[in-house]
Amino acid sequence: MDPVTVQILRNKVSSLVDEMHYHFYRSGYSTIIRESRDFSCVILDPRGRLIIPPPMFFHGIAYRTFIENLFKNYDMDEIEDGDVFVSNHPYEAGMPHVSDMGFVAPIFSEGKLVGFSASIAHKADIGGTNPGSTSANSTELYHEGLLLPPIKFHRAGEPDPDILRVILGNSRHPDLVRGDIHAQVAATNMGVERMKENADRFGADTVIGAFNAILDGAADELKKAIAALPDGTSSAEGYMDDDGVDRDTPVKFAVTITIEGDKATFDYSDSGPQARGPVNLRPAMVEACTFYCLVGALGPHELHYNGGMGDVVELKFAPNTVTNASPPAPVSSYQKANLRLVDVILDAMSKFTPTRAIAGSGSSGSLLISWQGGGRPGHSTMQYEIMGSAYGGGYGHDGCSMTATHLSNLHITPIEILESEYPCRVTEMSVIPDSGGAGEFRGGVIFRRRYELLQDAIVVRRYERAKFPAGGVDGGKNGQASKFIKINHNGSETELEAAGKYEMTAGEGFYMEKAGGGGFGDPAKRDPEAIKRDIAEGYITPEGAKRDYGYDG
Amino acid sequence: MSAEVRFRLGVDVGGTHTDLVLLDVASGEISVEKVSSTPHNPAIGVLNGVNNFVAKGTPPDAIEFFSHGTTITTNALLEMRGAKVGLMITDGYRAVQEIQSQGRDGNPFDYFYDKPVHLAPQSMTREVPGRVDWEGAEITPLDEDAVREHARSLMDAGANSIAICYLFSYANSAQEERTREIILEEFPDAHVSLSSEVLPRIREWPRLSTTLLNAYLGPVLVDYIGDLNKGLDDGGVSTQQRFLMQSNGGVMPFSAAVQGGKTVYTLFSGPAAGAQAGAYLSGDDAMKGIVTLDMGGTSADIAFIQGGEPLEVTEVTVARRPLGVPALDLTTISAGGGSIAWINRGGFLCVGPQSAGADPGPACYGKGGEDPAVTDADIALGYLNPGYFLGGSQTLDKEASEKALEEKIAKPLGMTIREAAAGIRRIVDLRMADEVKVFGAKRGVDPQDFCLLPFGGAGAVHAASVAEELGITRIFVPPRPGAFSALGLLCTDIVHDYVRSGLRPMELVTPGHAEEVFRELEARGFAELEEEGISPDGARFERELDVRYTGQGYELRVSLGGLGGEAGFTADDMAAARDRFDDKHAQIHGHAAKDRSVEIVSYRVRLRVAVPKYEPVPASEVTETPAPEDSVKGTRTVYFDAAEATETTLYERDKLPIGARLDGPAIVEQFDSTIVVPESWVGRIDGYGNLILGRER
Repeated sequence: MDPVTVQILRNKVSSLVDEMHYHFYRSGYSTIIRESRDFSCVILDPRGRLIIPPPMFFHGIAYRTFIENLFKNYDMDEIEDGDVFVSNHPYEAGMPHVSDMGFVAPIFSEGKLVGFSASIAHKADIGGTNPGSTSANSTELYHEGLLLPPIKFHRAGEPDPDILRVILGNSRHPDLVRGDIHAQVAATNMGVERMKENADRFGADTVIGAFNAILDGAADELKKAIAALPDGTSSAEGYMDDDGVDRDTPVKFAVTITIEGDKATFDYSDSGPQARGPVNLRPAMVEACTFYCLVGALGPHELHYNGGMGDVVELKFAPNTVTNASPPAPVSSYQKANLRLVDVILDAMSKFTPTRAIAGSGSSGSLLISWQGGGRPGHSTMQYEIMGSAYGGGYGHDGCSMTATHLSNLHITPIEILESEYPCRVTEMSVIPDSGGAGEFRGGVIFRRRYELLQDAIVVRRYERAKFPAGGVDGGKNGQASKFIKINHNGSETELEAAGKYEMTAGEGFYMEKAGGGGFGDPAKRDPEAIKRDIAEGYITPEGAKRDYGYDG
Repeated sequence: MSAEVRFRLGVDVGGTHTDLVLLDVASGEISVEKVSSTPHNPAIGVLNGVNNFVAKGTPPDAIEFFSHGTTITTNALLEMRGAKVGLMITDGYRAVQEIQSQGRDGNPFDYFYDKPVHLAPQSMTREVPGRVDWEGAEITPLDEDAVREHARSLMDAGANSIAICYLFSYANSAQEERTREIILEEFPDAHVSLSSEVLPRIREWPRLSTTLLNAYLGPVLVDYIGDLNKGLDDGGVSTQQRFLMQSNGGVMPFSAAVQGGKTVYTLFSGPAAGAQAGAYLSGDDAMKGIVTLDMGGTSADIAFIQGGEPLEVTEVTVARRPLGVPALDLTTISAGGGSIAWINRGGFLCVGPQSAGADPGPACYGKGGEDPAVTDADIALGYLNPGYFLGGSQTLDKEASEKALEEKIAKPLGMTIREAAAGIRRIVDLRMADEVKVFGAKRGVDPQDFCLLPFGGAGAVHAASVAEELGITRIFVPPRPGAFSALGLLCTDIVHDYVRSGLRPMELVTPGHAEEVFRELEARGFAELEEEGISPDGARFERELDVRYTGQGYELRVSLGGLGGEAGFTADDMAAARDRFDDKHAQIHGHAAKDRSVEIVSYRVRLRVAVPKYEPVPASEVTETPAPEDSVKGTRTVYFDAAEATETTLYERDKLPIGARLDGPAIVEQFDSTIVVPESWVGRIDGYGNLILGRER
């Protein structure tokens, strides 16, 4: 393959993914699309392998799973130019959870399948037990919304209005869902059109050849990087608070990494049994976490992640575990499980790549408020926000405070938007000192955010790290655990579970404290100048400095 | 010197050079100076350039108009040389600056992530009790004692600039304004930036970020303008018609810049001037559509012009920080003459983002650069004349180019030197073309019928192949591509932008309310003109609304041009605005929802006051004739494709008269650029001295 043409096509796919992404979020309707940007748009090879990672790269393996299952349901000659397939199925299409709806459209040129254009986006409501569909305590997949296995949404360019009617008929917010689907299908079809132009111009075989060269190139890069590691085995495990249903049972994640020559094996068999609550992962999610950690630990600036890397690493699972669940195990709160697993994998990886070691991070959580008093006139009654936390400290590096961590990279919804569109007041957004785990390299600090409800509401919160805070490493201390506190009418406070569904009334409120990042290394070794600066900036208190660092400057 | 000889001067400060363009108003003649920039105090370079004109006989008091494009604030930000900023923020919300957007920029796989350094650290942040709600009603009164106390403590801590950003201040600015009054009572000379003045728009983080940028850079700009004013006064340039280019393509008087409140309007002052020149000087092409391509040493700036105006944006990022004031819509990619070619670990040829810069520069500079750059590829293929770089003031080493190409690219990839060079060019040219396409597609613009306007040193070397990739059949090369940005400074009006957010469903907004908001913004415009000492005669206001479908998060700017007569804004005008929004949404995003309700997010007013401009006069008659013999410098072997040598005619641009015609393949050389005319392209010098390249589709 001519290296110039490969590079040109890579640049073209990269520009195209950027363009699809832009149109989607600028024209999406729900806050989850437009403010949080919880979606991805991609171009795939004929096997469903990702060519260029989108900002939400961890959807990458889900796409491949979707395509693999598509071919189980449809013969090649049943797939036509102009088809668009839809699925939100966590098992049959690898979608992260039922709220995430994928659209996939084949790209044909010269009668050949060149690849797919595809997108995944979170939907405001797709039915199920809870308003907003997401759940912290479902016990079956069927509680989480309408399930669509991979089926045709458009046939040879013609929309099937019946499928859309079924989807909208199951949604509490059909208007938002219709608008978002419209924008999503438009972005997906734009990918098809642009790639057809490229294939018409360069030739279908050239595009397929360039895809293979890009995928093989990434696989080679990864092989070389693995080969440079010492051979050996490393294991780690960690726990999530609970599964949202069995409150007293922590959920165990475990990995054993084996490096042998240029091969890496990740064995997740020792992870805990499939959970009753919605924290179950499937291989598509676990594979995404694995590659995130591998690339991040081996060299995020040297390795170029894409679907070609899938062939280099072997993954092992035991059946019916939390990392390899079977239907109908519920999955809605998958992201906090992903993020817990990432901490565990990075812990195990640090034996091979000590200069990329990092302590535990604070995970990510969602807050959903379904306004029961009609909301603000002219606006939706569904308020949905994603809130980040903080990174752990790492080798030579303090953890970043108040940010989306690891796989998650979603934006916070501005207070001025929230109060203008919903009957709430956000009355505090403050820094919590001493919330980052003490260490030679400190964990990131987190915030307290307080809400006052101006109407009755159902509040669904999906978070954890209340019982098992982000862990310190190499002598570093744990970060602060998370808190979720309800403020009652009389001003008294009630501590609530980090994950749950709560009915509240106007005049009540709540505040949440996220989990801080874990510390890295012995706090006594921290540079006194850094401690002094932390005190001045309000990241640690003088008392905390004395207690945790033995500093009385 | 007789009083009727008058000059106007445009000065554009770049990273290495300061370009000056002097216009003789009576004759329309232009002279150009190029001096070294003086980054430690750019005013020195500017004044050096002015003195060069004076030394050549231009009396300083005959300069009646001075217009300036500067990167002073941009550079101060990049090098973190701004003020020590103290921030006052609503009590309980100091984490707004800490969390920012919550999202991470950069490589998503790198968990050792850092945010940009806070412009006002938490230790310089004070929380002030006081709160208004989303409709602007006061919930908690301002704690004036706290303001006074915090002002003193910030000044004690060394603050020399104060930013004030309270929640919902765009809906009610009284608490911010009262805060400033108190600060000025205590510290009459304090530099104070209010978020309700800098950017009264909804969304607290972009507003805070923009306000902090203004506070951080305000004193830098005020000092600089002070130095420059003094230097001009001392040098006898007595005109008070002194103007500064803004990111929005308009100028503001120095008297506005020294107030400090509009500092954030200068962050893209430099590149805006070139786009503005393109809009103003290309006549009918600007109406139909232009893509400008400013290709220099390290990067290429791309802008679009349509309907005679450059496209604009209201949200940009500068040094990783959100900035919410209007700016010409530019995209920059790392494709310049100095961009380095290399082979990645996967074995593929890559170009940039590393640049060889000016030192060591591309291999051909002979300053020790061993990596082949785009300029080396251009030399190896015969496009550039190694003996005539910057008019012959610098000689380039072709053998060094070939050696670098061979060792670093050709040998490892098993190619010939020329194949390697052609590959580098193709990658760079297609990347520029792809960027133009995506940039256009994001804005609902198809550039195929546009004209390409290259400037900067390398623009015209690559323009034809970029045009071919885009299906563009017309290229417009101005007479002096190297001084085009400086000329743009003489081609614009005074522009002030005003905005105010008021998020409401459109059906709940009465036309009377909209009219009232617009009139308030216009009154502010008049008041500022008075402060700046500018006559309001001939001032024009342009009104716009930011509109979105209910539920959407991003709004589109809808022009109200032609709506709202003497009687003010009516219900019919509101309906017309709604229709314009649907049309624009369909144009940009490919779909519209006419049955869906819409919301007004913000009201905008743009104030324009005309200032004297460069008005080129065309030749009275243009007769097309073949390029005269004395314009031909000889021939050179050029490899338009790597395999085939083409003996190519070389022309001297300065010797091509009005009406001259030349057929590709040809190369046109001039002091500040080289123009490549491939086969099937035809070049003509138009009545203004522009070289217009065209080809059949």
